[in-house]
Amino acid sequence: MSQTEHTLSDADLLSAFATGDRSAALELTQRLTPRVMGQAYRLLGNRAEAEDVAQEAMMRLWKIAPDWDAERALVTTWLYRVVANLCTDRLRKRGRGVALDAIEEPSDGAPSVAAGLQDTARIQALRSALADLPERQAQAVSLRHLEELGNPQIADIMDTNVRTVESLIARGKRALIAKLSGRKDELGYDDDHG
Amino acid sequence: MMITDEEKLLDQAFAEMTAQDATPSEGLLNRIMMDADDVLAEAFPAQVATPEPAQGFGAALLDAIGGWMSFGGLAAATMAGLWIGVYPPDIVYDYSADVWGDTIEVPLLESDVFAGLDG
Repeated sequence: MSQTEHTLSDADLLSAFATGDRSAALELTQRLTPRVMGQAYRLLGNRAEAEDVAQEAMMRLWKIAPDWDAERALVTTWLYRVVANLCTDRLRKRGRGVALDAIEEPSDGAPSVAAGLQDTARIQALRSALADLPERQAQAVSLRHLEELGNPQIADIMDTNVRTVESLIARGKRALIAKLSGRKDELGYDDDHG
Repeated sequence: MMITDEEKLLDQAFAEMTAQDATPSEGLLNRIMMDADDVLAEAFPAQVATPEPAQGFGAALLDAIGGWMSFGGLAAATMAGLWIGVYPPDIVYDYSADVWGDTIEVPLLESDVFAGLDG
């Protein structure tokens, strides 16, 4: 979602949409939906649920367009926050854990059936461990290591400061390692690193 | 700072999860645009053209005669004509008698009409 490669910024397009420009909505949809969908899918592990979250997040964007304050935040920052909160709500309703029937089987691109299943087990284990973390830790870790954002942007998204973000990430990663280290053999790490 | 094996393993798991395909479907993109259209239609009702509903032959015929209101008038006139034909008021009866003369009855189905035609 780098704005350097686009003629108009996300905020410019949102402003145009607010004045009735449908083509601005089309450009924003194509530009922002892949990232919104990716964030939701990585957190929820279920494509249908992730699509629901992505649609809801974009709907909120359309509705806030007339009142958008470009000085307040980047559109992407705002969307990351909305998606993170929507996913947190869904995970909370699931009881924080990731229900097995909510996780999809791997689709394609796996080098072999066995390796594909093992990769899925690792991803499932990580997603489940993330979902069991305290919500703020889970959000900070996922924004840093799944969305690959810098700590200052994460601080903006989470409405806090960089030091707090660093602390949340460090504690979150320690908790994840503790949860996953007991399952190393089961998750096949030795096969790849032995 | 030394990176432990556990941290490497965790980073590997993050990388695997990030590499998962989460491309949005065409259906999702369409639904998002439909939402945008709804928001625009609400904010700018005069600017957003509502798509014409698909027209069948019946709808086209109805349009040709001027819509439902005209169809109602046409139906009422038809029924009135039928009523006049079945039960004509005296003025209509008298007028037709003046123009066409008195009515005569021709027994088309009686046997004596065809009597002379038999071989």
